[in-house]
Order: sequence, then structure tokens, then C-alpha cells
Amino acid sequence: MSEAALRVEQLRRSFSVRGCTRVALDGIDLELNGGTVHGLLGPNGAGKTTLCRIAATVLLPTSGRVQVFGKDVVSDTAAVRRSIGIVFGGERGLYGRLTATQNLRFWCAMYGMKRREGRATAVTLLDRVGLGDRGDTPVETFSRGMKQRLHLARGLVADAPMLLLDEPTVGMDPVSARDFRILVDELRREGRTVLLTTHDMAEAQAVCDTVTFIDGGRIIGSGTPATVRRLATATRRIVVHDVPEPEAQQLIALLVEADLPTQTEIDDRSQTVNLTVPGEKVEPAMALILRAGHSSITSAPPDLTAVYLEMLGRRADGTERGMQVG
Amino acid sequence: MMRQTWRFITAGFYFQLRMMRGKPDWFLALITAPLSTAVFLTIFLHAERQDLTAYAVLGPALIALWQMSLVTAGELITFERENGTLEALVAAPARFSAVLFGRILAVCGVSLFAFVESWAVGWAVTGRPESINRPVILAATLLLTVLAMAGWAGVMACVFVLARSARTFQNALSYPFFVLGGVIVPEALLPEWLQWPAKLVFLSWSSDLLRASLSASPATNVSLRLLAIAILGVAGYLLAAVLLERTLRRVRQTGSLAHA
Repeated sequence: MSEAALRVEQLRRSFSVRGCTRVALDGIDLELNGGTVHGLLGPNGAGKTTLCRIAATVLLPTSGRVQVFGKDVVSDTAAVRRSIGIVFGGERGLYGRLTATQNLRFWCAMYGMKRREGRATAVTLLDRVGLGDRGDTPVETFSRGMKQRLHLARGLVADAPMLLLDEPTVGMDPVSARDFRILVDELRREGRTVLLTTHDMAEAQAVCDTVTFIDGGRIIGSGTPATVRRLATATRRIVVHDVPEPEAQQLIALLVEADLPTQTEIDDRSQTVNLTVPGEKVEPAMALILRAGHSSITSAPPDLTAVYLEMLGRRADGTERGMQVG
Repeated sequence: MMRQTWRFITAGFYFQLRMMRGKPDWFLALITAPLSTAVFLTIFLHAERQDLTAYAVLGPALIALWQMSLVTAGELITFERENGTLEALVAAPARFSAVLFGRILAVCGVSLFAFVESWAVGWAVTGRPESINRPVILAATLLLTVLAMAGWAGVMACVFVLARSARTFQNALSYPFFVLGGVIVPEALLPEWLQWPAKLVFLSWSSDLLRASLSASPATNVSLRLLAIAILGVAGYLLAAVLLERTLRRVRQTGSLAHA
């Protein structure tokens, strides 16, 4: 058997809280090839972070096996720790009273670097994540996005062949998020393997070679973004542009009367009508829209957001996820 | 291997000093030590017991050493957990116990300043400096005491990992150990049933030897008493190492590394 960067076999993890057992991961199988970026997508509580923590050796599996470059996370912990860099995103996880440079130099020491090497590495990494001019600033004064970038730099301290990034772009502004995508692309080109958990479907679509949808501790779909889109649905997305509100309602009424779309949505602000249409009904739907006098139309396969909503928008019992709004 | 472990210890040591620099909340024990010294000295002088001034000088310094070491150092893991850095620390290749030891050692080392403070306050209140008749014994005892304290602070740190209400433990433990450690009342003056348990507390040997180092009377069994501190200190290290290993395994099993 060839050595995968990450191999997860029948992984199960449950937590007991006051006598109640909650299953966070329920028989997960996953294999990541080296030098690829893999996205782990799913709702809150799906088990993404639990999987990352087990791979990072800070949580033990209840049963099953996880190997990083052939080393078992339970029995060969030290070797695994040398081959991973981790980023647990969020506001916490940094020493606020210390400067960014001091933070990184400490983590360099934790990865066995000598002081001089640590000093040079800290400077290089701060430059790499765009914090080169803030090295001497206490981290407690940083914005959330800057902290996220420092988290990323910390994850790169190890110079490890595998990176576990748990929601690394939460709180980043669009420029930082774009820079993050460029950084991940660089990491891929350097031959590193990246496991990324995120709620940002555009980000996953942009940076991931493969994605896995996970819900209730189980994998419900996996593949490249393109194959997952095909796997999830045979529908297409049609967007009709420049349609003011009254006309939008009329257009939708026409389409529904003809039994063409499965989902409709009016976006008042951008004056667009978003339709999800089964593949075989795309042609008649387009024809009807043109006949109604609307010629500014785009059609595309569903993006990852649409796939996500279709696969994970409802719970197993059929009820809709999310808040009770509208 | 040894060199790398030493590197992790020194990294932890310097990191802790950096964390403490300019942050008074780490030094509360050092702030209260001079006040306690003044209070004890005033009581002893009012009672015309000039012969006890050494007790008044050493007692608060030992209390400060205990509080800073066991309370502050013992809370290090709790701090890391609350700060969200414990998981990353455990997941790093550095031996967590080595880093923790270095950090605790830094706290214990800084706490030695309490002896300088108390000695200076003693001089100011009595008008004469407390004479150090056996500086070698004083230095050796302080060195061994700090090292032993670091070992036992490691034990406390493990207890605090498992306990949600670590501060209750700290408050409950402090005063019994001040008594058993003979910081003000020597172990020999404790009720007989308390003397044996007190002998198992390294601090009781330390406080007796420290008082002996200031006293003009000859000090007896110095090597044996130093050995007792060393043995009890090593016992602390061994217990801390076993407990830390088991504690980390347990929190990885229960999934409570990030919370108690």
C-alpha cells in the first residue's frame, strides 16, 4: 500500500458529558494524497475540528486509526508532531502581551530551533503573512484578521510537510482572504499537504483540490469540487440580471406555472432572480425567460455553496438547519 | 536528546521571564512579602522577642516563595488552557514537561527576590541587618529549595489541569502547608502528631536550615538536612513526571485539553 499523507480508517470518536454520549465522528474513512489541498466542509458540530484535533495528536480516537505519512497518531505521536503544522483559528491561541516576533520565536523554540534560527524564521514568516512591519507590536492590539495571519505564521513555523488549518480565515478581510488563497497555493507548489476546514465555500472552491462534506460525524460526499458538484445534483443555476422587483415576481410566477425551477430567489439589492433548474429544463426555462423580455442571463453549474445547501441544508429528519428567520 | 531537552527548558525559562516582565499581577506575592515582614517584626519587637527576628524575616519570604511557585507556577497550565495555547503546546515536538519545568523554574527563581525584600525590610525596621552567619548553607539551601519547589509546583500544575476550581485548591492548600512547612513556627515546636507529616514536606527542612544559616549557634546535620530537601524534591519531580504523563493522556482521552 502506498503511503498517503493522511490516512483515516474507520475513525470513531465519542464524548461523554454527564452520562450522555455524543458521537462526533462515526466511522470516517479518508485518504489524502501528498501535495494536495483538501477541504473539510460541514455545518457547526459536524466533526471537522474533532478530526483535525485527532490528526494533530491532541485528541485520542475512541476507535479506528489515523496515520500521518504512515505514522500512527496514537503510537507514534512524536514523529507525527514533527511532521505537522497546526492552525487552530480564532481570537485565542496567541500570547497577547508578547509581540508578534516574540510569539513566533517561542514557537520556533518549541519546534527545536536554535535562538538565531528562530529569530530569522520569525522575520521571514512575518513578512510572508504580511505582518513584517508589525513584528514589535503586542498581539493584544491586533485586529482579528491580523491575529489570524499570525496564527498562519505560527502554523508555518514547523516547516512541516502537512498543515492542519482549522478555519484559518475566520475574521479576515477580503484582501487578507485573497492573500491566504495565494499562500495556500504557494504551499501546494512547495509540495505540502493541507487539510483545511472552512465554512467559506468560495474559498474551498478556490483553493481545494479535493473536498469532503461531513455531517453528523459521517462523510456524505467527497471528491474534487467539480465531481462533487456533479455528484450532488443534476441541476443548473440560472441568474437573470437587471430585473426590478415587480417584474421579478411576474417572471417567477411564469416559471413556476410552467413547472420549471426547483428553487427561486429574488435579490432586491442586486436586482437579480436566482433559479435552480433541473438539467433537462434549462432550455425551456431560458426560452421562457427570453420570451418574457429578459436577455441578461447567466447559467452555470451549481457552485459549492449550492451543493453545500443541497447536501447539508437539511438535517437527517428533514428539518431545515439554521436560524428561524424570515 | 539531553541537549534538546535543555534547550526546551531554557526556552521555557526565558519565555516565562518575558511573559512576566512589567506585569505586576505575576508579582503579587513579592508585593505582600515586605508588608508581612513588617507586621511579623512589629509583633515580635512589641513582645520584646528580638531573638525571633530571623523568623520574621524568613517566614514571609518562604510564604512568598511558596505562593509564587505553587500558585503562579501551578496555574501555568490553567493559563495556557484559558489562553487557547495548551493544545498547540502539547502538539509541538518540544517535551511539554521540559518547557513547563523551565517556566516554573523562572517563577521560582524570581520569587527568591522575596528574601532580599524581607531582609531589607528587617534592616529598616530593626535598624540593623539580619546577619548571615553561614552564607554557604544559605545559598545551598535556597538553591535546593527552589529546585524542590519547582518539582512540587509541577505536581500542583497537574492537579490544576484536572480541577475546574483550581483556585479553591490553592487557597485550601496554602495555610496547612505554611504550618507543615514550619515557615513561622519550626517543625520541632508543632504538636507531636504533626511533626512526622511535617518531615515529609521539604519546606520544613528548608526553613529550619535557613534559620540555622542566620543563627550564630552551630548548625548540625547540615548535609543530612540538605539531602532530605534533595530527596523530597526529587520525589516531587518523579511524581510530577508521572502525573503529567497520565494527566495529558487523560485529557486527550476525555477531550478536555481545551477546557476543564
